[in-house]
Amino acid sequence: MATDARLAVSAGSAGFDAKKWGTWVFSVGIWLIPLLWIDFITYMTLTIAGVTMGALLFLTASGLTLIFGLMDVLNLAHGAFFVWGAYAGFSLLNYLDTLGWVEMASLGQSMGSLILVLLTALVVGALLGIILEKVIIRRTYGNHLKQILITMGAALVMTEIIKVFWGPNDEVILVPAAFKDSWDLFDIVVNKFRGVAIVVGAAVFLVVQLVLQRTKLGIIVRAGVENREIVQVMGYNIQRIFTGVFAAGAGLAAMGGVMFAMFKEQLYPGMGDETLIFALIVVIIGGMGSVAGSFLGALMVGLAFNYVAFLVPKLALGVNIMIMAVILLIRPNGLLGRK
Amino acid sequence: MTDFTPVQQERFYEQRTRYSRPGFLIQIAALAGLAVIPLIFPSFRVMDVVAKIMIFTIVVASYDLILGYTGLLSLGHSMFFGIGAYSLALVIYHASEPCWYHLLAAAGVALALSIALALVIAFFSLRVKAIFFAMMTLALAEFTDILAVQWYDLTRAEDGVSFKLPGIFNLGWSGPPIGGIEINGRLMTYYFILVVSVILFLLMLRFIRSPVGRVLKAVRDNEPRATALGYKTFRYQVFSIVFGSGIASLGGILFAMWVRYVSPGSTLSTPIMLNILLMVIIGGLGTLYGSIIGAAFIKITETWLPDLQNAAEAIFPNMVILHRLAERWILYFGILFILVVFFFPRGFVGTAREMIRRRRAMARKGR
Repeated sequence: MATDARLAVSAGSAGFDAKKWGTWVFSVGIWLIPLLWIDFITYMTLTIAGVTMGALLFLTASGLTLIFGLMDVLNLAHGAFFVWGAYAGFSLLNYLDTLGWVEMASLGQSMGSLILVLLTALVVGALLGIILEKVIIRRTYGNHLKQILITMGAALVMTEIIKVFWGPNDEVILVPAAFKDSWDLFDIVVNKFRGVAIVVGAAVFLVVQLVLQRTKLGIIVRAGVENREIVQVMGYNIQRIFTGVFAAGAGLAAMGGVMFAMFKEQLYPGMGDETLIFALIVVIIGGMGSVAGSFLGALMVGLAFNYVAFLVPKLALGVNIMIMAVILLIRPNGLLGRK
Repeated sequence: MTDFTPVQQERFYEQRTRYSRPGFLIQIAALAGLAVIPLIFPSFRVMDVVAKIMIFTIVVASYDLILGYTGLLSLGHSMFFGIGAYSLALVIYHASEPCWYHLLAAAGVALALSIALALVIAFFSLRVKAIFFAMMTLALAEFTDILAVQWYDLTRAEDGVSFKLPGIFNLGWSGPPIGGIEINGRLMTYYFILVVSVILFLLMLRFIRSPVGRVLKAVRDNEPRATALGYKTFRYQVFSIVFGSGIASLGGILFAMWVRYVSPGSTLSTPIMLNILLMVIIGGLGTLYGSIIGAAFIKITETWLPDLQNAAEAIFPNMVILHRLAERWILYFGILFILVVFFFPRGFVGTAREMIRRRRAMARKGR
């Protein structure tokens, strides 16, 4: 019976799925409502800010979707990867600045240092992820309580190590010169870095989706989530694949961290905690294990935060919790989650 | 005896031996010890640690009701603790002069708020998946923390709220000395905390030994079976969450009474939640008495670890990296936490009980 249902679901997603498209249309369309109270130019500015925030959140949440949604590992150390990525990028940018690649860089140099920084964060996060998975997480598969406790402890240790090396205070991160100004599109002012964030977020979304849906590796990962034993019997080293997925998730979090730090132009050791909460909310809203869902969820959270912060500033912090509560009420499995 | 069910037999056995077991004598001794500690050790530091141990025992035990006895992982217990602490602080701070009924009002506000919040959390998250409960509580706890930091007009943000207690709990109050011992406001607060925490602890003991407590354990161990037996597991879980959260908020009030200063960092932040978790794990999940040991262990190390740090600085004056490592004692908490979860998952009391049981079984076999 269960297999039948699953077959039906996968058959449905191949063709036109009215419910799924309905969810997309509804989730996007609802954000036209604020136009009733806000004039168009402000609305566009807020929307761009919201999409930026969504893209930044998605970077972190996509990693969490891989780890939490696909592998079913409750990783509360996700925020720590985020901070490590930010600090790794911070150090690299400081070094690149001594070469003249940051503060007085041309467009090409800025692009180069941005890509370098993102790659470094990715690698640092992935390495930490591999270590954490091999040493700790591996022993806790299937035991949620233990996972939460262990990763909480790991997050604490990782954040404290950051404080040992970089000190506990706020730092200012350098941003490559070419991304510092803003464009003016028909009176709508767009920060250049916002554009960068949106592009990076969209690119990561496409890459992750492509890898998961269209490559053999993606098929193995998804199959391994459904049934570990069978995949093992087929001759794949599921342990190594899971380590890889965990590393990818951690790397994405680290990338999100350095992007977020550059966006805010500052970083501090505690920044991971707040982002972890946002990412958790995004994953729950989007539905477990659905990368597209977390993309949608991230956009919703980002947009809602910005509109509400403009209309009713005091409510802005609570609005995400409210969205989560409402979505859990009407769609207990999240926007695009499976049963 | 064959007419009785095993549960009844066990209950009769418990009732008969209630006052003659070693456990009872230990309890009496511990109570007497707690009562005389401030008289023997006049130093404030000892009294401070013992009072905090009592307060955190209550908070940790109430957390154990939810985690250990009901099997639900809440990451927002510090929120309820903070709600209690803040309701007392804010009621007194925003009133002009501290009065007696402020204590009662604070207790009422704290209970009402925490019960309402616990109900909302339970209804939203338990419907879906037990694991969403953890996520939901974590998100809400973080949100409360942010709220307390941002809403300056109400909570005075990170400056915190310091306030005075009414009547005999006021630091300025002093009574007639009895037998050469000075009776002051702090001493009265200490005894008040002792009495209230003993009452709350007994209440929780009663709770887990009640029929409801037994059902909760059944739900924790095998939810489908408990459902099949006709118990509405959802209701029992909600009840346990509400009960535990309410007691945690009372613990928060006691904490505020003792410290007379409330800030987000000392009541609502994630490290507090981690401390509570660590205490539960060290003491042993599902053992109410373990919360005493867990709270005592953490509070005592927390108090005397900084001394160790100073010693390290004195011995190695020139190694900066070592100073930084010594400064970060939360780092060692984290490592200890991971080690305990891996190698000592039953905690002190759990392991001790296991050993006693094994020894008894051996003795029986020997006979």
